[in-house]
Amino acid sequence: MALTESPELAPGANPRPPASPESHSTPLSERLTGFLTNQQTILLLVLIGMVVVFSILNPIFFSLDVFGNVLLDWGPVALIAVAETFVIISGGIDLSVGATLGFSGVIAAYAMQAMTAAGMGDSITILCGTLVAAATGMFVGFVNSLLINRLHLVPFIATLATLGAAGGMSIVLTGGAPVGDGPQSAIDLSVPWLGPLSWPLIVVIVVVIIAGLFLHKARFGRYTYAIGSNPFAALAAGINVKRHLTKIYVLSGLLSGLAGMFLYIRLGSGAPTSGVGDELDAIAAVVIGGVALAGGIGRMSGTVLGSLILATVTSGLIIIGVEPNWKQVVVAILIAAAVSLQALRANGKRS
Amino acid sequence: MKRIIQTVGAVSIATSLLLVASACSSTTTATPSTPGAKSLTIAFVMGAEADPFFKAMKVGATAETSANGDKLIWQGDPSLYSPATQIPIVDQVLAQKPDCLVLIPTDPDALQASVAKATAAKIPVVNVDTHVTDLSNVVSFITGDNTQGGAAAADQMATAIGYKAGGSYKVVAGLTSATATTNVDRLKGFEDQLAAKYPGVTVVDTAYSQSQPATANSNVSNWLTKYPDLAGIFAIDGTNATGASSALQAKGLTGKVALIGYDAYKTNVDLIAKGVFTALIAQNPAEEAKQAIDACQSFIQTGKSSIAAKVTLPNITMNKDTSAADLTKYTYVQ
Repeated sequence: MALTESPELAPGANPRPPASPESHSTPLSERLTGFLTNQQTILLLVLIGMVVVFSILNPIFFSLDVFGNVLLDWGPVALIAVAETFVIISGGIDLSVGATLGFSGVIAAYAMQAMTAAGMGDSITILCGTLVAAATGMFVGFVNSLLINRLHLVPFIATLATLGAAGGMSIVLTGGAPVGDGPQSAIDLSVPWLGPLSWPLIVVIVVVIIAGLFLHKARFGRYTYAIGSNPFAALAAGINVKRHLTKIYVLSGLLSGLAGMFLYIRLGSGAPTSGVGDELDAIAAVVIGGVALAGGIGRMSGTVLGSLILATVTSGLIIIGVEPNWKQVVVAILIAAAVSLQALRANGKRS
Repeated sequence: MKRIIQTVGAVSIATSLLLVASACSSTTTATPSTPGAKSLTIAFVMGAEADPFFKAMKVGATAETSANGDKLIWQGDPSLYSPATQIPIVDQVLAQKPDCLVLIPTDPDALQASVAKATAAKIPVVNVDTHVTDLSNVVSFITGDNTQGGAAAADQMATAIGYKAGGSYKVVAGLTSATATTNVDRLKGFEDQLAAKYPGVTVVDTAYSQSQPATANSNVSNWLTKYPDLAGIFAIDGTNATGASSALQAKGLTGKVALIGYDAYKTNVDLIAKGVFTALIAQNPAEEAKQAIDACQSFIQTGKSSIAAKVTLPNITMNKDTSAADLTKYTYVQ
């Protein structure tokens, strides 16, 4: 499993076990053992197990309708969890994703309110709203990167500051109430038409796939792993670390902005309280998915499965009639289990 | 050079954001006093600046104080409805020695000591919306009637689902938290009224949104799947109303499942005409604030005997029969 992938890293320069994003040249038998013991397989089994248990407890769970509900919850969490995956693999953390989600949704809502008032069509309005949300998110991400690269704040503090600023601005601008009077057909877009999939979900799936390719198949991803494994070695290997971190935080903002637009479409209005605390869901999804908070380790498929498990728990508990606050307890157990699994595997490798 | 410009840019953005945030989190409204009359300083410590309910309250308080030439100190946490942040705010306000303190306690027990502190400093205290456990030192308590609001919601629900004795109907209730007294009272009023007048209606499920409209939407989406024969939804506050109305629209069940909401956010009031909301129960926060200011003034001028210890303001029911003028009048100001 532990194959060095990043060619930019000088051999021996990495103090930690290096990232293993790809395994092109591994023999088949080893790949099979790897498959059965890796975190993704275990997560998939956990997910299937949950679906089976929920379906036994209430057969109505096993329906397109419920899968649609699960995916609707999954969409925004998946986007910010993907954002968090890049940031955490690079060795940082982005606490501002939830606040950026809410702030982007509010700014996009005002833009769409103005466009609707000006008599513009729904499709063009929603398209522009999406661009505004994305741009707002990218702006917050850029501020994060300035705070980190220029003012040398650690990512935790830098993004804590933008979390407060973006969250506060949403409330200041709206006075706490949702911003409506936007395109009438926004909510209709949330209606599934392809099995459990609606248009926004299809966009999310495409974005997640592209992000996965960027992380595992492109130079962008290799740089991300290299910086997260050892920023000094990455620098020595000729990677422009600051420029790459800027790209990562702007990408994180962009994905958070898209998540804000996703929620706008779902609710038909931009709610300033949207996204409050969602950064913790994103971090939970990423950690459950096997990404190490220390950086340099993790896979996109893990994040996708982690976020799917979170969304499944939410809907499942409502369908089987269990108090939804139990979700937090279930998630806590999953996080503890996922991290101990990582620790066990790391020990196994060392011996 | 480029680096300097970027650094300066970053610093200026950060500073301006901080300035905006700090300027808006503590708004102190001073109004010119009318000559002749003694001008009072009335401190008003509310729950959370972010809530439109309190925004509407501020409008009422500002209008009433400026009409009398009094000075209003309006304070509260920007977004958190929490005793942990409210207690230091009360302390800070009391240090300014106001003539009267209007307090919306975020916790009935935690804020008791703050009331005692004010009383010791001879500053009279009025409670609005919620109250501290021991009201003996509180001049007056002015509130909307949450229990009555819940009962009114039950009446609207029965009408909307075409209740007939002997029938059996399933309804659900979307709540925000298990401990908010407003939630508890509204749900109690709702369930008591159902039990007394509409025994065929059962509340089959409840869930909490934690102030997140997306969570409220998720709860309702799943209920609509779980109970294909669901007759109605009681969304207990503005957040739940937003989540429930969007879920209902996305599932194409507008008008097929009755939706009774609470709180008059503009986005929700607009949905009455579209038939998404069968009815909204609205409070009258501006009037509550006005009466609290009045209680302060008459206490200082004439003493406690002239003031009612508890004033309960009725809720307003908004539905498709409500006139456009009334809909506008009772929509919370933003």
